[in-house]
Amino acid sequence: MDMQFGVMLRGLFDWDDDMTVRFEELMEQARLIDKLGYDCITKGSHFSTYPHQEMTQIPFLCRVMAEAPNVRLNAGIVLLALHNPMEVADYFATMDLMSGGRMIFGCALGYRDVEFKAFGVKKGTGVKRFEENLTAVRRLWTEEKVSMVGSTFELDEARTSVPLQQDPHPPIWIGANADKAIQRAARMGDCWYLNPHQKVETLLRQMDIYKEELEKHNKPFPTELPIRREVFCAPTHDEAVAIAGPYIKGMYDAYKTWGQDTVMPEEDRDITQEYAELAKDRFIVGDPDEVAEEMIRYNEVLGVNHIIMSVQGVGMPQGQVLDTLTLVAEEVMPKVRAA
Amino acid sequence: MADIQLGLMTRGQFPQEDDMQVRIEEMFEQVRLADKLGFSCLTKGMHYSSAPLQDMQMVPYLSRAMAETKNMRLNMGIVLLALHKPLDYAELVATMDVLSGGRVIFGAALGYREVELKAFGVQRKEIVRRFTENIEAIKRLWTEDKVTMKGTFFELEDASCSVKPVQKPRPPIWIGANADPAIERAAQIGDCWYVNPHNRNDTLLRQLDVYKRALDKAGKPFPDEFPMRKEVFVAETREKALEIAKPAISLKYQVYHSWGQDKVMPEGDNNLDLDWEELIDDRFVLGSPDEVTEQLLDLHKTMGVNHIIASPQGAGMPQGQVLESLHLLGEVVLPNLKSA
Repeated sequence: MDMQFGVMLRGLFDWDDDMTVRFEELMEQARLIDKLGYDCITKGSHFSTYPHQEMTQIPFLCRVMAEAPNVRLNAGIVLLALHNPMEVADYFATMDLMSGGRMIFGCALGYRDVEFKAFGVKKGTGVKRFEENLTAVRRLWTEEKVSMVGSTFELDEARTSVPLQQDPHPPIWIGANADKAIQRAARMGDCWYLNPHQKVETLLRQMDIYKEELEKHNKPFPTELPIRREVFCAPTHDEAVAIAGPYIKGMYDAYKTWGQDTVMPEEDRDITQEYAELAKDRFIVGDPDEVAEEMIRYNEVLGVNHIIMSVQGVGMPQGQVLDTLTLVAEEVMPKVRAA
Repeated sequence: MADIQLGLMTRGQFPQEDDMQVRIEEMFEQVRLADKLGFSCLTKGMHYSSAPLQDMQMVPYLSRAMAETKNMRLNMGIVLLALHKPLDYAELVATMDVLSGGRVIFGAALGYREVELKAFGVQRKEIVRRFTENIEAIKRLWTEDKVTMKGTFFELEDASCSVKPVQKPRPPIWIGANADPAIERAAQIGDCWYVNPHNRNDTLLRQLDVYKRALDKAGKPFPDEFPMRKEVFVAETREKALEIAKPAISLKYQVYHSWGQDKVMPEGDNNLDLDWEELIDDRFVLGSPDEVTEQLLDLHKTMGVNHIIASPQGAGMPQGQVLESLHLLGEVVLPNLKSA
């Protein structure tokens, strides 16, 4: 089975943690990920992350490039409604050059008030800005000179400062929770970047919506279909749940306070359930056989062929992270690929 | 002993036809060498839509290049801050400070290019206000856990900087400025004025007074670190230095002229050679290693600058020439500066 395996370096730590120490640990993870033959390193983007600390996406991915010379680098995801398309397009052109053509451009709408306000994004303009920005970015990557008037920018024969390495450009993955957003992903992206919060059943329903919209716009099913999931692997099921469970549960409790549930489809909105209920069809946590089986199932029922694993919960010790990354590489990957 | 630091600016701007994969490797080779030779910092500028030159974006470049260094500080020289949002850059710079173990310098200035202002939806009349509000917000985000502040183009509502810079209380803020009001502003809100490379030296001397008076008015002392960027062309002989400077400067000024930087350029081109030498003498540092040392010491004596950022690479200058310049600067000029 043709499957790519990525790791999301969530990089979220307690407010009083020493980030220079955490940075070194993340670089150690990156080197191991590269060595073990994973396909991709992912870094997310949020601003104003109190009570947690998080390093910012772009500088982090650029620094990681030096530690991980082989893996693809996924900006998963850029909060595209907040930013300026000239800057985004130029950043990624530079990164694609420096990495030798390894960038993936993930993007999505975002939902946090504090972020929208900090970037001066007026309420209700997010979708428009997202669509305009994405259009502009794609044009800057593929046209020699771009003139385009958007609601927050004006490109006047603008161009990126260096050419892209990938032809025609880094793949555009659009993250989406809600049905409308998934339709937008079909229209405007190279693929839908399936998110980690929805249960499989919901994703199946939404996959129909996705396929319908693709057909409507005469676009083929994407050759690369990625999904992000919480993943943890240990020698036994119980061990895996005992280690990862509390971290994941804690995170979903935090999501509730952030309002993440409000942007999820209704059938998945109750994220206050106990771990076992929460985990079913949502997290991939278990022994190597279980984890492999679940990944194979995802491929068979959803058609995903790139699994981005979120592993490190807030406060999870380095040793546990390295162990699970190694176990997945050594015992899960071969099983999945052989299926 | 003069406590003068010598920094490096890798301009990173190349002609349209250049293979950037080759150039980026060359730039990293320059960076590794400069770090080894004891240069104080690695500097990169910021522009968008830089055609007809190819250029790498500052933030990604410095974030990657820092992996090639052990000691050099990373000088963001300069961020076009009026174009951006403060939470964005507060977090970018703080992250770079963590990634580098506390080695970032935050340089910022207003900017001038119409294509850039338009691209970011910024009107010229807003530039100063955006700039000053952003500086204020960034300082607060770096030093306070939660910030509430209503700017004209942003609103911080109990916002936090997701990671704090390593340097305490915060990274140094160098403010680039050409015009007198901007220099006064640098005195008021920056840690220092970051002297630009375009003005004539006699102009700079006059502006030094403007700066000092503004510092007095603000009740601030003369800065401990007073940086200046200079185009520096060094070779075994003055003749050779002139030879390497000419094509590099010609191409640069062709482009900058089309960008609207030409306001600081003298008009007329009648007596090309004489004007040419005059142009260089009053703006650029140029000559044999001994001559370069002397000119830098002179700047230190007259202007009080103690951190000179040298840009030795003109667009199109071959790698061999650049490395040679770095060796001369690092192995001859720098020790001479330190022992003066």
